Amino acid sequence: MSDDEPTTDAGPTSTAGGPAASGSGPGRILVAVYALLALAATGRSVMQIALSFDRAPLAYILSAVAAVIYVVATVALVRGDRTSVRVATVAITIELVGVVTVGVASYVDTAAFPDKTVWSHFGSGYGYVPLVLPVLGLLWLRRVRAERAREDLSA
Amino acid sequence: MLLWLTLALSGLSVLLLLAAGWYAARDRLIDDVLLGASAVLVVGLVVQLVRGLTVMGAITDASERATFVAYLVTLPFVPVATAFLAIKEKSRWSMGALAVGAFGVFVMVVRIQQIWELHV
Repeated sequence: MSDDEPTTDAGPTSTAGGPAASGSGPGRILVAVYALLALAATGRSVMQIALSFDRAPLAYILSAVAAVIYVVATVALVRGDRTSVRVATVAITIELVGVVTVGVASYVDTAAFPDKTVWSHFGSGYGYVPLVLPVLGLLWLRRVRAERAREDLSA
Repeated sequence: MLLWLTLALSGLSVLLLLAAGWYAARDRLIDDVLLGASAVLVVGLVVQLVRGLTVMGAITDASERATFVAYLVTLPFVPVATAFLAIKEKSRWSMGALAVGAFGVFVMVVRIQQIWELHV
């Protein structure tokens, strides 16, 4: 996968930052997955908070936080300029810490997490995608940054 | 829910997923065939939305009903969004976006059927 050069066709499709835009090439898939998770997490947490907040306030607040982070990461990946890459890196790092923390907490303190949320049980309700995604996201962003640094040197 | 509609929609989304994989392997970009398939999928999902909204009263549990409606409303937007992503990306990765969307549609369509069968 990493041998493929995403730079060949970046032309008119990339908005800012030239060939290594974070939302094009393999980043396009990342954007799609993030958008889908943002949608799923937002929908679910709005419903949980609106309909049964008292049941598990902590878990529901955390899933709302997760939803916000997915939205931020999606937007930042699509925009892909320098600041956005930084924002995406921070958001995805928080996401990774969150999914691991909430994952552990949901096994330790089962009473606080009665329902499945995006991050509980390491995202098992979502096929463990929430656990794998931030790792892929950070690797991808690292590559975007590395490519940009190379361009800056040659420019 | 209408079982045949669920079967048709999940079948179509799996076909779209496979087609996207095939196109990616052949290094082809999105064309009229895939756009057409996405459009048919959207039309089907809108039919499902209308049908779902007319029968949703049968679901007794309020939060399950809310989930049901949320899935119904969300679904038609997914193929539109991923087709848009795929059109903008002029490389084989565009098919990845399409495949992710198709997979998401498949999961949500099955979930809708599951909610219906467990809570009516």
